[in-house]
Amino acid sequence: MGNRKDIIERCREAIAERLPRPSLDDLRPTVYADPLEQFKITSTAMGSRVETAASASEADAIIRRAYPDAQLIASALPEITIATRNPDTVESAQALNGTDVGVVRGTLGVAENGCIWVPQTMKERDVCFISENLVVLLPASCVVSNMHEAYARVKVPESGYATFIAGPSKTADIAQVLVTGAQAARTMTVILLENE
Amino acid sequence: MSTSHSRAAGKFLEDSGYAKWHDNTFWGVRAKRDTMAFGLDEWERLREKASEIKQHTLTHIDRYLEQFADAAERNGAIVHWAEDADDFNRIVYGILAEHDVKKLVKSKSMLTEECEMNPYLEERGIEVVETDLGERIIQLKGQHPSHIVMPATHLSNRDVCELFEKELGTEPGNDDPVYLTYQARLSLRNEFLTADAGMTGANFGVASTGEIVVCTNEGNADMSTSVPKLQISAIGLEKIIPDYEALSVFTRLLARSATGQPSTVFTSHFAKGRPGGGKLHIVIVDNGRSHWLADPDHWQMLRCIRCGACMNTCPVYRWSGGYSYSYFIPGPLGVNLGMLRDPHRYSGNVSACTLCLSCQCVCPVKIKLGDQIYQWRQKLDDMGEANKEKKRMCMAMEKVMGSVSLYNKATSMLRYVNSLPSAMVNGSLNPWAYGHKMMKFPKRPFHEMIKDVEKGSTDK
Repeated sequence: MGNRKDIIERCREAIAERLPRPSLDDLRPTVYADPLEQFKITSTAMGSRVETAASASEADAIIRRAYPDAQLIASALPEITIATRNPDTVESAQALNGTDVGVVRGTLGVAENGCIWVPQTMKERDVCFISENLVVLLPASCVVSNMHEAYARVKVPESGYATFIAGPSKTADIAQVLVTGAQAARTMTVILLENE
Repeated sequence: MSTSHSRAAGKFLEDSGYAKWHDNTFWGVRAKRDTMAFGLDEWERLREKASEIKQHTLTHIDRYLEQFADAAERNGAIVHWAEDADDFNRIVYGILAEHDVKKLVKSKSMLTEECEMNPYLEERGIEVVETDLGERIIQLKGQHPSHIVMPATHLSNRDVCELFEKELGTEPGNDDPVYLTYQARLSLRNEFLTADAGMTGANFGVASTGEIVVCTNEGNADMSTSVPKLQISAIGLEKIIPDYEALSVFTRLLARSATGQPSTVFTSHFAKGRPGGGKLHIVIVDNGRSHWLADPDHWQMLRCIRCGACMNTCPVYRWSGGYSYSYFIPGPLGVNLGMLRDPHRYSGNVSACTLCLSCQCVCPVKIKLGDQIYQWRQKLDDMGEANKEKKRMCMAMEKVMGSVSLYNKATSMLRYVNSLPSAMVNGSLNPWAYGHKMMKFPKRPFHEMIKDVEKGSTDK
């Protein structure tokens, strides 16, 4: 077994000169005049469908319209009354397999790349990945221009996990052909909540 | 005069149609990267910051490692330290054995390739399932990755169709990538549901929060760690970065440089085991890194964020393929890392560079990959790895070029080479005639002809 002290000590001895950390003050990153509009454009380019609702109470109807054949809908959100499974109360992560639509909440969107910060607020987080289709509710007021602004605002919650999700799961591993729906959700719908 | 790389490249080039396709494919990825880079005004500033942050971090890595490990332990993660590859494998096996794990699902990790972990675990009765589609394909095929980001790109959809027909029982002859991807999804879904543990590599370790950050497009790292309750994440010690501010710089560069996307689909932060009895083990690996850090010429290789852009742009990689290199990482990155690992064993790769320095122009953390390959070449002789034939030629040239009378004599004699039989000039004894015919030498050497021209012009 290697030990922490030896490895760290060897690193310390290997360092010839300690170099300073740069300031990002002169980076001048791209900032969009209308981050929300840019977010819609980028999210669409990343393969998501973007919908707008006044509030979360409209989400049920939008989901029904977007996925008319969906039977098994998993969500721990109180606003989603059409949910048939609850990631908070299922007995195991495996029990969410076969979910047609998973519905979760994101807390921050990033205009430059379509990323949405989804913290784990449910007991079984595989609802975000195991569902065939993923719906993410996002307050329209919570969109920033770039990752610098985003990382200044986010924090992993007490559950110990959060992820940025930018569209449906993808791969180009077979002959460089882009296919959506690799191991996680095959489609993604973002519902922007205008009054939140 | 050939090196291990040039011999292997020669084989690769025998199928010229395939070689052309390979070149086009990776140049296409480079072009996508350019579109992304040119789309951001701050791109070059971003690269500069990334480079400086890495230099700062590596020259404070002792402190950041301590900060990372302390934070991770405060979160509730269990932190292990691996001296080398054997140590790493033992640690991972120990964790798995303790939990009676029969099946491990894992996302892509070049570190586990480096340590040859899969065969080690398999010999001890643990089933290891790669879940990145490309990695799964080459695992089923019994191959190694030919590229660090796109490990199975050397295979065609026809190859995958034949493989899946045999291994997964897919429809004979159906080589549609959409169909094949879906079949792999169904097969892997079953593996996720029945695995006892999940393993990930790490793109970054955040010192301020103790989090492991993993970037994927497929979501396989998240599937691997959100179904089984036991998670192991392996991280090379150079992957530690200070904080979220630093992370914001690297996440903007990584996917744009790697595949020409503004971001990977998933950028996942792991701080602790899952609620309800999950466990997170983090294994921090040295395996030579602390020694490389002490190398004044090459320590900056540790800045690498493994995007693979240097491979995509490299004309030698594009025209020779990943398997032409003897180290498990190919391209300009692999040439350098191989030399750090074992210069005697991997010196056959340093010829795989035209010194065009395209790699340095695209590297998101501005590593001088080509310059360092040049430096390694200068060291070959001292290491006893210089090509003997080339060395003799250089010694002879030094003599000739160093003496005016010898040089004049030699150049005036060259025209007689023209009248020698072709078999002698273009034969295997003359390495310069390999792949093309020897040139015709002019009757008089250039330095004599130019004298006449100069004389003529002054006469006028």
